[in-house]
Amino acid sequence: MKYLSLLAFPLVFLFTACMDDDDPVTGGDVATTVNFRAEYDDTDLSIQSITYDYPTGAKLKTTLFQYYVSDLELLPADGGAAVRMADIDLIRYQSETDGSVTSRTYDVPPGDYVGLRFGLGVKPDLNAMDPNQFAADFVLNETQFWNANARYVFAKIEANADLEDDGTFDTGLTYHLGSDAMYTTITFTGDFTISSTANPELNIVADVFKALSSDTESFDISDPDQQRIHGMNQAIGQGIWTRLAGQFELQIR
Amino acid sequence: MIRIIPLVALLSLLAACQPPAATPMDIPEPEAFAKIIYPPDNPTTEEGLALGRALFFDPLLSADSTISCSTCHLPELAFTDGQAISVGINGRLGRRNAPGLTNVGYLHETLFWDGRANDLESQALHPVAAPVEMGGSWQLLISKLRRHPDYWPQLKLAFGLKDLSELNPDHVGKALAQYQRSLISADSKYDQVQRGEATFTKEEALGNAIFFDLADEPNAGEYAKIPTGECAHCHIPPHFTNQLFFNNGLDEANSLDDFKDLGRGPISGSKYDNGKFRTPSLRNIALTGPYMHDGRFNSLEEVVDHYNSGGQYAENKDPNIIPLGLSPDQHRALVAFLQTLTDTSFVSRVVRESGSQKVR
Repeated sequence: MKYLSLLAFPLVFLFTACMDDDDPVTGGDVATTVNFRAEYDDTDLSIQSITYDYPTGAKLKTTLFQYYVSDLELLPADGGAAVRMADIDLIRYQSETDGSVTSRTYDVPPGDYVGLRFGLGVKPDLNAMDPNQFAADFVLNETQFWNANARYVFAKIEANADLEDDGTFDTGLTYHLGSDAMYTTITFTGDFTISSTANPELNIVADVFKALSSDTESFDISDPDQQRIHGMNQAIGQGIWTRLAGQFELQIR
Repeated sequence: MIRIIPLVALLSLLAACQPPAATPMDIPEPEAFAKIIYPPDNPTTEEGLALGRALFFDPLLSADSTISCSTCHLPELAFTDGQAISVGINGRLGRRNAPGLTNVGYLHETLFWDGRANDLESQALHPVAAPVEMGGSWQLLISKLRRHPDYWPQLKLAFGLKDLSELNPDHVGKALAQYQRSLISADSKYDQVQRGEATFTKEEALGNAIFFDLADEPNAGEYAKIPTGECAHCHIPPHFTNQLFFNNGLDEANSLDDFKDLGRGPISGSKYDNGKFRTPSLRNIALTGPYMHDGRFNSLEEVVDHYNSGGQYAENKDPNIIPLGLSPDQHRALVAFLQTLTDTSFVSRVVRESGSQKVR
C-alpha cells in the first residue's frame, strides 16, 4: 500500500502538469472593441469595387487607405490618468476583401469616460527607431518607410482617377504623408460608461473624401504636380493632412 | 531510501518510453534584420535541418524520382532555375516562374506568387502532388519514407516519432521549412555598404538614389533633379519586398477578367485582385532571371524598361507605377544598383552545402 501511495504521487503530479492552466479571469478589465471605420463621402469605403465622384467632375477608385495610430487612449471621467489601449497600430484597407471596418479589442478598466484620443501618425520616439528592432510582424515593420532607414509614412491615400470621364482610370494618385512635424493628436469628447454589462461600441470614422475635399476647397487632382505626394513635396500634402486629421469622428453606440 | 526506488523506476520507465529529443539549433542572424519568426511547433533543430536539406535535394519526393525541390530551386541561381516557366515531371510545363528562396525564412506573410500558402510549412506541401511539378501523391511519398532505411530514422529523431503510423506530410513540410529558414543572406555589396564596409561606385550610388527616390528627400543635393524610381514602395529593405500583392502593369486589361493569369484574385475571392502578384524579393536578383511571374523579361534591363514605360493599363494597376523618364545613364545605374544585391558568399555556401547531398 505504501508503494501504491508513492506511485500515486508522481501520477497526480503528471496529471496536474497536463491540466489546462487557463485560470478564470479574476481581473476587472472589460474587453472593449474599437471599430475603425473607413468611409468615402459618408458611405462605407470600398477598395476598387465602387466608383466615387469627386467634386471636380473626376471619378475615383481607391486602391489603398491607411494610417498609423499612436497612443490610443481613453480619458477617465474622474480626471485620472488616461487608459492606454495601444501604443501603435496600423489601420489599413487595401483590398475589397478587407471591408470598411477594422476592429480591435482591448481590455480596459470599467468606469465612466469622457473621451478618447490618439496620435495620427507614428509618435516621434517610435518614428526615430530602426524598424529592425521590432518583431518582423509588428506594425512598425509593415514596411511603410520613406527610405531604407526609419521615418514612417504616417498615412497613405492611393487611387486611380478617371479625369476625362472616358471610363478609364488611368491617372494614378498617390498621397504619402508624414513627418514628426505633422504628427497630430486627435481628441474626442463624449461620455460613455464601460462595464461588464454596458459596453458601448466605439467607432472611429475616417473619411477619405473629406481628407481630399472640404466644403470650401477640393484638392486639385487634375494638376500633374498634385497627383504624387511623397517625400519632397509634403508642403503640397499639408492640406490633405490637415483635412485628414480634422475629419475623424468618434461615434458611440 | 526504499521509498524513492519506485519513483525512480517509474520516471525511468517514462523516460525510456520517450524518443530522444532533437537538438535545438540557434542559427545566427544578421543584426540588420528583424528576427525570423519561428513557429512554436517547428523550431529548427540540427536533425530537422539536416533532414530538410536532404529532402530538398532528393528526387525521391516526385512520382518517378526525377524531380527534386532543387530541380527548380538551384542553389547556384539563388534557388531559381533560369527558366521562364518551370518544367516539372515528364517535361510538363508549370504555371509560373520559380521564385528565389534567399531569406525566404524572413517572409512571414503568404507565399507563392498568388499567396496561396500561409507559411513555409504549408508551402512545402504543394509541389509533391502538383501534376505539373512532382506529379506524385502524399500517400505514395509517405509510404516510401516509411520504408526508407535512412529517412525513417532521421524523421524519428527530428520529430520524436515513435511509430511509422505517426509519420504524415506535415513532418516533411516542417523539415523542408527548417532548411529554407537557414538560407540567410546578408553579405551583398548593398549590405556591406549599409555596414560601412564598402562604398557604391558613382553609377551604383546613382542607381541607389533612383531606387530609393532620393530626389524626394529634403536634402537631395546632387540627386535633387533625378527621376524617382518608385521601386521602394514595394521592394523595401532589408528583404526588398513588402510581401503584398500588386498589379504592376504587365498586361493591358480593359476588364478585370481579361488577365491571362488571374494571380491573386482566385485566392482572395475578389476579382479586384485579378492580375495582382506578390512582390518578389530582390535579394540576389541578378541571378534569378528570367523575371516576373511568367518569366517574360530575360534581363534586368528589360525589367527596368518595363517600369520606365509606366506599364500597361488596367483599372487596378498600382498607381505608383508611372512613367519614370530615366535617361540611358540612369537606366544603367538602376541596373547597376540591382546588381549590388548579389551575395556571392551566400551562393557559394549553399552550393557547397548542396554538394554534400546525394540521392538516397
